[in-house]
Amino acid sequence: MKNEITLQTRRQFLRTTMLGSALSWTVPAFLADTFSALHAGAADSATQIVTGKDATILVVLQMAGGNDGINTVVPYSSDDYHRARPRLGLTGDQIIKINGDVGFNAALAGFKDLYDAGQLSVIQGVGYPNPNRSHFRSTEIWQTASDADRIEKYGWLGRYFDNACAGADPTVGVTIGNQLPEAFFAKQPKGIVFNNPQNYRFVSGEHAKMGGADMTEESYKKLNELEMSGNAPEDNSGGSIASLPAGMPMQGGRAVDFITRTALDAQVSSDEVRAIAARVKNQAEYPASQLGSSLGLVSKLIGGGLPTRVYYVSQGGYDTHTNQIGTQQRLLKDLGDSLKAFTADLKAQGNMQRVVVMTFSEFGRRVAENANGGTDHGAAAPMFVIGNQVKAGLLGRYPSLAPADLYQGDIRYNVDFRSIYAGLLEDWLKTPSAPILGRQFENLKVV
Amino acid sequence: MLKPLSPSRWDYTTAAHLLNRAGFGGTPAEINHLVQLGPDQAVASLVDYETIPDPVVNPAWAHPDPDRIKHYQALRDAATPEARRLLILEQNQFVQRSMVELRGWWLHRMAYGPRPFQEKMVLFWHGHFATSVEKVRDPYYMWQQNDLFRRHATGNWELLLLESGKDPAMLVWLDQAQSRKNHPNENYAREVMELFSLGEGHYTEKDISEGARALTGWSLDRINQEYVYRPFLHDNGEKVFLGRHGNLDGDDVIAQIVAQPQAARFITGKLWNYFAGQMPSEELNEALAGVFRENNNNFKPLLEVMFRSEEFYDAEIIRNQVKSPVQWLVGSVRMLECELPPPILCMGMLRQLGQDLFNPPNVKGWDGGITWITTNTLLTRYNDAQSLVRGTPPNLTAADFAPKAGGQGGQKVAHFAAQLRMGGVALDKIFTPAELANKNELVASLERRLLQAPLSGQQEQTLNDFLAAKPQLTHDDILTVIRLVMSTPEYQVA
Repeated sequence: MKNEITLQTRRQFLRTTMLGSALSWTVPAFLADTFSALHAGAADSATQIVTGKDATILVVLQMAGGNDGINTVVPYSSDDYHRARPRLGLTGDQIIKINGDVGFNAALAGFKDLYDAGQLSVIQGVGYPNPNRSHFRSTEIWQTASDADRIEKYGWLGRYFDNACAGADPTVGVTIGNQLPEAFFAKQPKGIVFNNPQNYRFVSGEHAKMGGADMTEESYKKLNELEMSGNAPEDNSGGSIASLPAGMPMQGGRAVDFITRTALDAQVSSDEVRAIAARVKNQAEYPASQLGSSLGLVSKLIGGGLPTRVYYVSQGGYDTHTNQIGTQQRLLKDLGDSLKAFTADLKAQGNMQRVVVMTFSEFGRRVAENANGGTDHGAAAPMFVIGNQVKAGLLGRYPSLAPADLYQGDIRYNVDFRSIYAGLLEDWLKTPSAPILGRQFENLKVV
Repeated sequence: MLKPLSPSRWDYTTAAHLLNRAGFGGTPAEINHLVQLGPDQAVASLVDYETIPDPVVNPAWAHPDPDRIKHYQALRDAATPEARRLLILEQNQFVQRSMVELRGWWLHRMAYGPRPFQEKMVLFWHGHFATSVEKVRDPYYMWQQNDLFRRHATGNWELLLLESGKDPAMLVWLDQAQSRKNHPNENYAREVMELFSLGEGHYTEKDISEGARALTGWSLDRINQEYVYRPFLHDNGEKVFLGRHGNLDGDDVIAQIVAQPQAARFITGKLWNYFAGQMPSEELNEALAGVFRENNNNFKPLLEVMFRSEEFYDAEIIRNQVKSPVQWLVGSVRMLECELPPPILCMGMLRQLGQDLFNPPNVKGWDGGITWITTNTLLTRYNDAQSLVRGTPPNLTAADFAPKAGGQGGQKVAHFAAQLRMGGVALDKIFTPAELANKNELVASLERRLLQAPLSGQQEQTLNDFLAAKPQLTHDDILTVIRLVMSTPEYQVA
């Protein structure tokens, strides 16, 4: 380790000191030690540090809009399928067969490769009781893992952070996108969101001068630091205001203390994220799509050793009410190719063992096609879990498409999505699922 | 409990506190005016708003659609799927356009309207009866609900619960419009008790199902776009709801809820939390609920007592509330005396900051408090400060304008938004020539205006160092200093 304290390490020191000191909000003392040690060794570490260098990572991939699961994992041998979808039913080389009954949409060639390599688990017929067909509400149900008739305030990943990641680095959860997904809503908000690492920063607005310091940025950093006098914050409130009673400014637990801590988190994580994005190179070719670039960025952040447990990426456009075939093919090809590149990249990095990807969509679509060459909002659909450690193959059974077996025109679910969440929480993130999901769901052993 | 604040404590700090909490903050001149009025008159000047004329004109479309039935027919009779698709597209565009306008209309009322306290209450009720356009999908209903909150802002509790329950947006939002005697929908019956009036633990599951039966008949006339009572949907059987027996109806449900002592405690606690920034102690809340009940469950007398009380000006309360994104934006515009950004930019900024008006995350509303602050919303506030001060457009992309669930829209809107310009700060409006000429005076003036409190010694030193490094202070340097004061943890609280 270097002896001199650079600005960067000084800020990290401040952050860790704050985390461990008595003025912090909720952090137990033992964590402070862990954090100091971790940060001391973090600078050049190429591996995950938050809970040891072998910590597992979950990547959640949202397919927004309601993907038509029936034309994704196709029950091609079913007569009911072809009867319900005279125009949209896939045949021949539109399908890559998995077995005598079901096959992938041919656009998912990338998935077939993962499947053959034993890295893809296809869970069939996933849904929940009393399915809701509103995008808004059903997305919320998936994001909060609530029952269909209950409103939950916090997301399932937010509850994971609250329950299992107290005091963790803010980058414990990373969303590539513009807004925090409801899944991340938490009592103690955690996790960072950005689309482009270049935007996750304080923008000074000062024109970069060759060799000169950016005074605006340096001033911002100083304004947001815990003071270096070595005193507790009660003592460094500086000026006084006549009418405020003594002792008023900056007591432990005041809102401004929380914000100061968050400001330090923001500085440290913003510097880290941009440094990693600039330093780490992708070792696979990603599709030139939003999803491709999101996953490419996630791979860089993993390779760069960001102490993240959960990454969240999304792909939109699955609301295919009209002319579905071409749109869905394009989206699925992007999905399969992006994930194939992602796994190849992680393998080249040596991190494939540590990562599992889970996809979800708020609902599947109606069995019968509509009059516009599309499909309307439905219910159950398959889910995909990808990684070296997954229980590969087809899990669950394909729901019947026979008209008598449908519920209001939709296939019935066999697997509650929360039993997949339970499996990933318990067996992958290694934490009890019941406190997070509200009760004990059957653990569908996916990893 | 609830003794009036001693007039000896009435000064710039306490007056600014009142204006920040019972309004959206203001200029030093406005704060000084409140100081001159004294505490009683100052509270009255905000809370007694009924006599202040309100000349704001409603949006042009804020009325029932006279051609509603024709629109339904056209949709039904569309000759081709393509024609139908175009009709739906047109309707969606109308919804989106109108909702942008409505957000701007409301923010404008908050920033410049004559009754800031009334708007602060409307914002409270919007967060309380949190209803989202994502499901309601009708701008007129959303405006109407907003107007209802304004009319009943400081009125009677029972009347407000009744009217908000029969409000078209609420009838859609919590599915009461679909409830009928053979299939009572329990959504509204549950939430009206859990989230709006009593809180969990103060009713049983049986009360929910019985309440839902009693509420059948409350319905929505989708052609005339108004509440309608439909007797043939009402369950006329015997019900037992919160201990009351009989062939109860929806009005009985609301009356029986308000008859519970808990219904007063629930709302006085929530109001105190909204204005004071933390939940009241049990003792304090009993006192508040007592005042509320003595005044027949009318809000105005309670709020007057609250804003005059010693407790409201406690050291634990002053400058210890995280500004909501709306408070941050509207308050900044008021304190900087600059223009509110165009509605579409306000919408994008507030979405990024986590408070999209008319689109709360769910029926529980916004969590508020420290949950407003994450690493990225904090950096976004710091960067948006730059946009407000300089008038440069904020960093928004297509995703900031896209519908919440699914969809890829927003490209065009983002492109349009990037072309817009904002006002920026006019230095001669907020500084005297003397302040502009003296670096120390400049910092002190900003502290008075933006924080109503001093920064720490080290923070002041940082600003002084920044200014000292500029031999000739330019217009641009001063804008940067304003932005830097807004880029502190201290600016995020009020």
